[in-house]
Amino acid sequence: MTQTTLPASKMPTPRSNLRNWIGVIPFFLFALLFIFLPSVRLFIGSFTNADGQFTFENVIELFTQKYILDSYLLSIRISAVTALGGGIFGFLLAYSVTVGGLPKSLRSALVTFSGVASNFAGVPLAFAFVATLGRTGFVTAVLKDVFGLNIYDAGFNLYSFMGLSLTYMYFQFPLMVLIMAPALDGLKREWREAAENLGANSMQYWLRIALPILLPSILGAMILLFGNAFGAYATAYALTGGRLPIITIQIGAQVRGDVLHNPNLGNAMAMGMVFIMAISLAGYSWLQGKTERWLR
Amino acid sequence: MTHLALKNISKHFGEFTAVNDFNLEVKKGEFVSFLGPSGCGKTTTLRMIAGFETPTNGKITIEGQDITDKAPSQRNVGMVFQAYALFPNMTVAQNIGFGLRIRKEPEDSIKKRVADMLALIHLEQKGDSYPYQLSGGQQQRVALARALAIRPEVLLLDEPLSALDAKIRVSLRAEIRAIQRELGITAIYVTHDQEEALSISDRIVVMSEGEMDQVGTPFEIYNFPKTVFVANFVGSLNTADAEVLDPENGLVAMDGVQFEAGEGTSYRKKGDKVKIAIRPERFNFASEQKKANVVDCTIANITFLGSVVRIQVIIGKTKFNMDTFNNPFLELPRIGDKDQVSCSREAVLVLND
Amino acid sequence: MNITTRIRKFPFWSWVWFLLGLLYFVMPLLATFEFSLGMERDVIGFKAYQTAFADPEFLETFGYSVFLATMTIIVSIILIVPTAYWIRLRLPEARRTVEFITLLPFVIPAIILVFGLIRVYSSPLNIPFTEVTLIKPLTNFNFGTNVLIVGGYMVLGLPYMYRSVDTGMRTVDVRTLTEAAQSLGASWYVIITRVILPNIRTALLSGALLTFAIVLGEVVLASFLGIPAFGPYLFLLGQHRAYEPAALTFATFLITWAAMGIIQLITGGQGQAAGAH
Repeated sequence: MTQTTLPASKMPTPRSNLRNWIGVIPFFLFALLFIFLPSVRLFIGSFTNADGQFTFENVIELFTQKYILDSYLLSIRISAVTALGGGIFGFLLAYSVTVGGLPKSLRSALVTFSGVASNFAGVPLAFAFVATLGRTGFVTAVLKDVFGLNIYDAGFNLYSFMGLSLTYMYFQFPLMVLIMAPALDGLKREWREAAENLGANSMQYWLRIALPILLPSILGAMILLFGNAFGAYATAYALTGGRLPIITIQIGAQVRGDVLHNPNLGNAMAMGMVFIMAISLAGYSWLQGKTERWLR
Repeated sequence: MTHLALKNISKHFGEFTAVNDFNLEVKKGEFVSFLGPSGCGKTTTLRMIAGFETPTNGKITIEGQDITDKAPSQRNVGMVFQAYALFPNMTVAQNIGFGLRIRKEPEDSIKKRVADMLALIHLEQKGDSYPYQLSGGQQQRVALARALAIRPEVLLLDEPLSALDAKIRVSLRAEIRAIQRELGITAIYVTHDQEEALSISDRIVVMSEGEMDQVGTPFEIYNFPKTVFVANFVGSLNTADAEVLDPENGLVAMDGVQFEAGEGTSYRKKGDKVKIAIRPERFNFASEQKKANVVDCTIANITFLGSVVRIQVIIGKTKFNMDTFNNPFLELPRIGDKDQVSCSREAVLVLND
Repeated sequence: MNITTRIRKFPFWSWVWFLLGLLYFVMPLLATFEFSLGMERDVIGFKAYQTAFADPEFLETFGYSVFLATMTIIVSIILIVPTAYWIRLRLPEARRTVEFITLLPFVIPAIILVFGLIRVYSSPLNIPFTEVTLIKPLTNFNFGTNVLIVGGYMVLGLPYMYRSVDTGMRTVDVRTLTEAAQSLGASWYVIITRVILPNIRTALLSGALLTFAIVLGEVVLASFLGIPAFGPYLFLLGQHRAYEPAALTFATFLITWAAMGIIQLITGGQGQAAGAH
């Protein structure tokens, strides 16, 4: 960029608007190559058949092929369960170190740990849980030897829906804590005092004031948790080896070329996922907007 | 009849004493201000009345009933916060009616009461608005209505106008006072703005560093301050060091210039070092009127403030401000002129440090 | 003297939740560590760690991942810092679009991204619905694959890096700094290197550490693109060995903790969530 004279305080008026857009070209180029092109390719591929012509068959198969539909439903189920469970317990954790009155040091410890734990997902997490709750895991052994409780006999299995959900919680709880801690901080002390002053007890304060104020944040966070679990692949694969047919595993199989007569079906499946994630993100944004308006 | 009484109230936070031996009896319907700088303990004392802080020592009673150990939700005092503290998820009407709903009053009477309150604060049209849709001044009025809706024994206001613009502050404080008078409700008002306190209170408690410096009507506080702090904090003041010449006749000398002082010398000895204080508006030019004290001075500076003209004079070696009403026909002296100023005996205050 | 009947309430339930959480989080770490110590029969020792770290393949893949992470960080900075700067200074209109783009990686999980990348770059790039070839498949070339994966990693790290840099620039108000520097006669080169970059050091460090953590743990892109990175190595190790994976898992955790701890220290605030899932 060359400039001859430099006006000290005024920004160059957009006289040549087009020139200004030059500076962001590298970024847009990057986005084009690595985000848009792949997405568009998948999108177009969803509507292409084996002969390269336009078709809706792939999309239709998403709904008609039982195993695909089941995969989506399974993914949705596990995401919903971990979003709800992770949301509730994560909220309680965040509550305990903010409004709940625990020492300040515990709060920063929990927040730092949450930053770490949400990065711990994937292969290491799966291994850690195998070492914990696998057939010869630490906790399994303790429960058997010390409490006489054999969880595998009782029906528990780490390599199942239940086990995977439990494992997912390891990054769902922290994510909830990271989102809710600041939100809980936003609860002004004066609201509680005003409520008390007007005669309300603790329960009334929470039910009528605090929870309603926090609800958009909580729901928004749970939606993020949903999306988080929905897109997870590595943890599930490392833990169950692909036995649990969530949609990401199915797509992974597609990419490897494991299955299919119709490679474009994989595209459609991927697009279906993106669609669901996009709706989640939209829902989250909308709730964010509501929160900000109230807490101005 | 004492309505609200604080006896020997103290509050310690570990080593730090926030409030020390606070004693006050407030009559029903009285408007008392706690006035002082940040950290003087005025808000802490207010919060003890509300129940958000527990006194380390002492007793608080309302109508003779001890409320010191009662939870905040059981005291029936209404509090207005500096930051309004309106519940953002409720409309104005819902905010105002909140306390009544908690008390499980019937819905119709709540509706009527809310309507009455809205009329009282002149916001009849805003019942269904949300707090974020209102201006700061409007929000504070709603906060006031919310506190009054529950028919509290005492109304507590914690610097309610600090967050507002200067113009709104002036009009809103008059409104608050008018409403308080109309309802005849006992009110305690915390502020650091002396003009605010002076203009709307029945009595003022001036506090500094946890202690009550002086209690009195605005007139008393302004004209007969008991300590240097009070004199300095309330209104503007000229102070100077002086020496007692004649305790019985109230003669003091400042920079060799002799003054006849009002009170405060009788218990002193000759040679005592004291502080004298004279309010700027108590001076006038000797050419206009000669009072008990007439002293020579040099004109140092003249500042035109609109309705007031502030003339800085040097008496002895000390600078004094003299405030005089603006008068288009007044001939003002020039800087450097030698002149004479005069003030009465009572204008010269002798203060404890 | 009156008795304070309102005793400071003991936050019973808060402790309950916290301790439950503590239990849940610590167990797997404990189990992994305990397991990793048990390589030698009847002996508690660090044999597993020794073996794991001595494995030449470990060094290769770990080193390679570190290399990839470094490349990703450098290219990201080169791309993002000028872009964010430009937008603040000259093109505020583009802000919403760019921010939207940085949100896209949230909608496109790694598995889908790699799917798309492979589809686009491993087959000849044709004009849709035709047979006209524009570019030969990238994955045929080693260098091409590396470009792909660095690009992919940059996409994964984009939201965090951009947000970090953008916040940093906002905090130090780059606009005013630039104008001050210009009025003192500084050239653009001087402004960027001596005024802007030093002031967003913290933001850059934070973004870099986060990217580092993401890349190190990343397994989806790496394995599907056939890259010999640390993630796939760890996974394969888990198929064949027992103790070494546990050792490496625990070590990974410590490294991530260190990175996050540093970020926490320098930003003194919000943590961020990222990483392979």
